[in-house]
Amino acid sequence: MNTNFIPATAVIREIIRENDTISTFRLELINKRVPFSFRSGQFCMLSVPHCGEAAISISSAPNALPLFDLSIRNAGELTNAMHQMKAGEQVGIRGPFGTPFPMADFANSDMLFVAGGIGLAPLKSVIDHCLFQSGLEADAVANITLLYGSRSPSEVAFTTAISSWKEQGIDCRLTVDAGDDSWHANVGLVTELLQKELITKNTKSLICGPPVMIRFVIARLTEMGCASHDIFTTLERHMKCGMGTCGHCHLDGKLVCVDGPVFSLEQLQTMDVMELGT
Amino acid sequence: MIDLQEMILEKDRLIPLLRKLKKESRLIAPVTNKHGDTLLSEINNIDRDTIDLDRQPQNSLKSFFLPQQEILAHYSVDTTGYNFTAPEAAKETIYFGVRSCDLTALLYMDLIFSKPAKDASYYDRRNRSVIITLGCNDPFANCFCEATNSGPYLDYGYDLQFIDLGSSYYVAAGRRKGADLLNKWDYFFRTVEEEDQKIRYQLFLEARGRFNRNIQVSHACHKLQEEEVAETIWEKLAGRCYDCGGCAYVCPTCTCFSVDDMAIDDSHGTRIRSWDACTSSGFTRMAGNHNPTDRTRHALKQRFLHKLKYDYQKHGKASCTGCGRCVDICFGGVDITTFIEMFTRDAS
Ligand SMILES: Cc1cc2nc3c(=O)[nH]c(=O)nc-3n(C[C@H](O)[C@H](O)[C@H](O)COP(=O)(O)OP(=O)(O)OC[C@H]3O[C@@H](n4cnc5c(N)ncnc54)[C@H](O)[C@@H]3O)c2cc1C
Ligand code: SF4
Ligand code: FES
Repeated sequence: MNTNFIPATAVIREIIRENDTISTFRLELINKRVPFSFRSGQFCMLSVPHCGEAAISISSAPNALPLFDLSIRNAGELTNAMHQMKAGEQVGIRGPFGTPFPMADFANSDMLFVAGGIGLAPLKSVIDHCLFQSGLEADAVANITLLYGSRSPSEVAFTTAISSWKEQGIDCRLTVDAGDDSWHANVGLVTELLQKELITKNTKSLICGPPVMIRFVIARLTEMGCASHDIFTTLERHMKCGMGTCGHCHLDGKLVCVDGPVFSLEQLQTMDVMELGT
Repeated sequence: MIDLQEMILEKDRLIPLLRKLKKESRLIAPVTNKHGDTLLSEINNIDRDTIDLDRQPQNSLKSFFLPQQEILAHYSVDTTGYNFTAPEAAKETIYFGVRSCDLTALLYMDLIFSKPAKDASYYDRRNRSVIITLGCNDPFANCFCEATNSGPYLDYGYDLQFIDLGSSYYVAAGRRKGADLLNKWDYFFRTVEEEDQKIRYQLFLEARGRFNRNIQVSHACHKLQEEEVAETIWEKLAGRCYDCGGCAYVCPTCTCFSVDDMAIDDSHGTRIRSWDACTSSGFTRMAGNHNPTDRTRHALKQRFLHKLKYDYQKHGKASCTGCGRCVDICFGGVDITTFIEMFTRDAS
């Protein structure tokens, strides 16, 4: 890991447009000082020339290295500058940082992914990793279900990945807050897709999306009997260093960049966390 | 292990010794400036600068190890690509006349900047530093270092500790670099007599009896492990916090920072680290104006809980060193002692 704020350089190999505001940038490091490896759920600090840094989750699975993906929503200064960049141009990368999802605990589980908007980015890494491991008896998960909510049909992102997941047998259920003539899937909030028959004793739920979505999904899963150690989410906070020194990502005595961003509900219940409405 | 050494320096030999030290490295000491303020600052001319060992320096060591603004890296964007280079190396520096609380704060910073990996810029300065402390015989008006276990004298952590015995200093080495200095300049010193030890002990007892303020720091730390702080306390404190950041700036253990890139021209720039304060409204604000902290109620919650609850949990010690600077600076009167007094008196 970098002990300072000097990033390694990465080249943008490919840009995949996911929707009007989200694109996936496929990167490759060219001057890394130490071998780069990561686990699903971890994030990087991305440097864009003259814009500083932003925390971005790695949205591809580790097996795709040396290429890795950052899926970025155009949300402000840095992310907008990133959206102006072209294949072949260079960005800076520090990391990976943060705790990953506990993949080893997911063997033989029924995996339920619940995502909203750009929140699918960190979960995409997990889904791709589950698929990569599906040939390995001991580590494979039993089932994968994805519930994915977007605001409108034109905002549905990651459609290429979703069609490939469907072909590989993943039960993908999409919903939008407001539909139009072109939309034939569900309309309504993602919580409405959370039906009893999706939950087994073996279900591990992974949630990522806006804070209100996280809160309502957790409430519904708990109501349906999911245990707090089987529910995981990844939190977003203002971050400046990614390595536990700047203090910006504080969360009731923890630092989201090192103690998270992945937390189980069991961990969060002992803390004072905005996403749980406490 | 180093062989601990203790020696006596007669006061008339202090300036000659400092003159020697200054020849070898940068020397920082409490100096009274032309406005009459005493600040830890670089000695330019040992005969003309007024070294003031009687008053508390207004600044702590913090800015020398974590400057208010510093360059973390230079970058360039051109046809060869997007490249970063490290900043200039730090200078060897000797710090003289550092108070016990401020050295304790530096030891805390050592911890903060070593996890999960050593912060390159911080440790570059730290590794090139020698710290000579001065025990406090007469604690200042707002000090409560006895309650935070960070003074008036120290048992460890310093390279050298000076104790003022009246006409001489009792000098003890606590670390290798301090012992090396004593050995190198031994002809300035004389050996310790039994009488010196007696005086030192007597002064220590007297100093401990001279604190004006009795702040229940450890009681607050224990109580925080057991109990939530009443919302009304947070609200009262927040209502009188004007978001000036003064407490965090003067505090030797407030080390939160921000990092931003500053363009110099189209193809060059610097990555800058600057002090930040958890009490300020932008500290936790995210894109789209989401903010997980409600400043109107909780402006000071993180600052006090971090020092008294979380650090106590993690390190077994609060990270307030009782230096009293926030008491002096807070014009809303909501410094850490106000909080401790409100919370320890609250019966609920
Ligand atoms: C662990 C983690 C993983 C993330 N993963 C992704 C991802 O995969 N894809 C994605 O599109 N976004 C992700 N984000 C959010 C992303 O970091 C912000 O959208 C981005 O920092 C916005 O920067 P900006 O300059 O474009 O926005 P502006 O609104 O112009 O700037 C926001 C300001 O807040 C600061 N800031 C620091 N942390 C954050 C934060 N978390 N959110 C917003 N602002 C922040 C920025 O440095 C800047 O000063 C993630 C955030 C975290 C904490
Ligand atoms: S909180 Fe106040 S008294 Fe404690 S170390 Fe910081 S400035 Fe000094
Ligand atoms: S991002 Fe700096 S401490 Fe977490």
